[in-house]
Amino acid sequence: MKNKKGAIKIALYGMDERACKTMAMYLKGPCKGIAVVTNEVNAEIDLIDADYSKAKELLDERKSVTPDRPLILLSLEEVLIEGTFFVKKPIEIETLVAAIKQATSGSIKKTKPIAKKEEKGEKELEKTAEIETTETTESPVVEKKKAATKHVDSEEVKKTSKHRTAKDLTESKFSAYMGHIEGVDFSDPEHLLKASFNAKEYFFGYVQSALKVCKAKGRILQLNSGWKPLLIFPQSQEVWLDADDKQLRAFAGLSIKKNASKGMSLSPIEKSTVKANEKMENFYDSDYFLWKLAVWTSKGRYPDVIDINKPVYLKQWPNFTRLLVTPHSMRIAALLVREPRTAMSIANALKIKPQYVFVFISAANSLGLVGQAKRQSDALIAPAKVKASKAKGLLSRILGRLRG
Amino acid sequence: MSQYKIIFTGPVGAGKTTAIDSISDEPPIKTDASATDMTKSRKAETTVAMDYGVMNLDDGEKIHLYGTPGQERFNFMWDILTVGGIGLILLLDNTRADPFQDLHFFLDSFGDFISDTSVAIGVTQMDLSSKPSIEDYHKQLQETDLKPAVFSVDARVKNDVSLLVQALLFSLDPGLEDE
Repeated sequence: MKNKKGAIKIALYGMDERACKTMAMYLKGPCKGIAVVTNEVNAEIDLIDADYSKAKELLDERKSVTPDRPLILLSLEEVLIEGTFFVKKPIEIETLVAAIKQATSGSIKKTKPIAKKEEKGEKELEKTAEIETTETTESPVVEKKKAATKHVDSEEVKKTSKHRTAKDLTESKFSAYMGHIEGVDFSDPEHLLKASFNAKEYFFGYVQSALKVCKAKGRILQLNSGWKPLLIFPQSQEVWLDADDKQLRAFAGLSIKKNASKGMSLSPIEKSTVKANEKMENFYDSDYFLWKLAVWTSKGRYPDVIDINKPVYLKQWPNFTRLLVTPHSMRIAALLVREPRTAMSIANALKIKPQYVFVFISAANSLGLVGQAKRQSDALIAPAKVKASKAKGLLSRILGRLRG
Repeated sequence: MSQYKIIFTGPVGAGKTTAIDSISDEPPIKTDASATDMTKSRKAETTVAMDYGVMNLDDGEKIHLYGTPGQERFNFMWDILTVGGIGLILLLDNTRADPFQDLHFFLDSFGDFISDTSVAIGVTQMDLSSKPSIEDYHKQLQETDLKPAVFSVDARVKNDVSLLVQALLFSLDPGLEDE
């Protein structure tokens, strides 16, 4: 039923949408397209998740509706049922491919029964015969279905830290999270003008620089800082660090003196020697990592590369669900993406403390999302006043409901 | 009392039903049926009419959450659904063969509604397929006049869906108080 030009059509039963999708991509990717998922009418093989609560009914139904169609059962526990093929979960490529080949070769009819039927609650029945494992003949051509899905990245799935939802911080929670900076009174306009930081004096600056070097060289590098090594993976835009938030926040807040910065170095790492994947949860999206470092370095200050008396613009919305949502940052983004504004104009328009604007600018600037407006007109013309929506009351109530 | 609604759209399997489920205060009404067409290869059941959920506000007002059916053959319903809508949530499945085609298709299809309101885009299944990246979507959007929020979204996670809807609200009015 299968040859090199075609893919076997498999119908899935007892799986939810996500499992179906994962299965479809597993067949297409790791199993090299040996089969495609289709509907029950066009299928050549039926594949049932035997751990599904109604698996027995599904099995009976399939045997009744399409008695000549091969059946493959998936289960965490061995399930040996006459006239079916069994693949143990978690599925291994070789096992599944072998089962599909066996099923399509029709060899099941040549073999002795695999096992007697197992009923739920009954003791497991003895295996009576082995599935024939000899190479099967190629199956006839079947029409290859147009690929609708792509390969699942199984390593990506394990990187849980990368796909975790954002922390959404209110003002009260944020002060404790961010920490504060000595000697800056944000309520004093004079202090505000001096409330800047030089990224080069902090771990943040070195990480930012290292990420750029790494991207330019296109190879894995290790940033040595005298603290914990930071591995940078330019292709996947990830970093790996074996430290928790508390440790990182403390280190991020330390000013690195010039003589101490000599201890900073970048060293190339061969992919084959990287053992970082032993702790997949320590992988972070490099944007998330840099954004967070920028927040902890800023502590309410702005980067000295930005002139806060001149307007800044936002190139695009940050991917907030995978970053740290600092207070008012979504409002600032919504305003700034419309037109350039100075930091103080933003603070005034939204009636918020300037340090929240500075933190946002620091974080967004770390990802290259903020630019200093250079057009004369941007500084010449005052930005439009924020017009309240006619449905402002309603929208605010929806917002309140969403934010709990 | 006025009917206020937020519209969720996107291709089959993008997570519209799940997203509505994530933020609805009442069990959502689903109109899923066994798929019998090409949709079957992506999900066993699909929405054939629309999904419906509700957010109850403190003053007794209700926000209706409508999910459009994903299949293009139901697009005659889209115009009807959007009447009186506050804004559009577009969900895109990153494991689809060509999510950019989906992006442009839905932005075009709902063009009038978006120009009258706003749109926020959620990209789902990025844990299964990290490419294209969010940056790639923004590059695609440069071809349009739009600068919407584009977020990675796990439709099962309430916070993800909530942030996406919040971005839609702030796009409509950045002056909204969020504290």
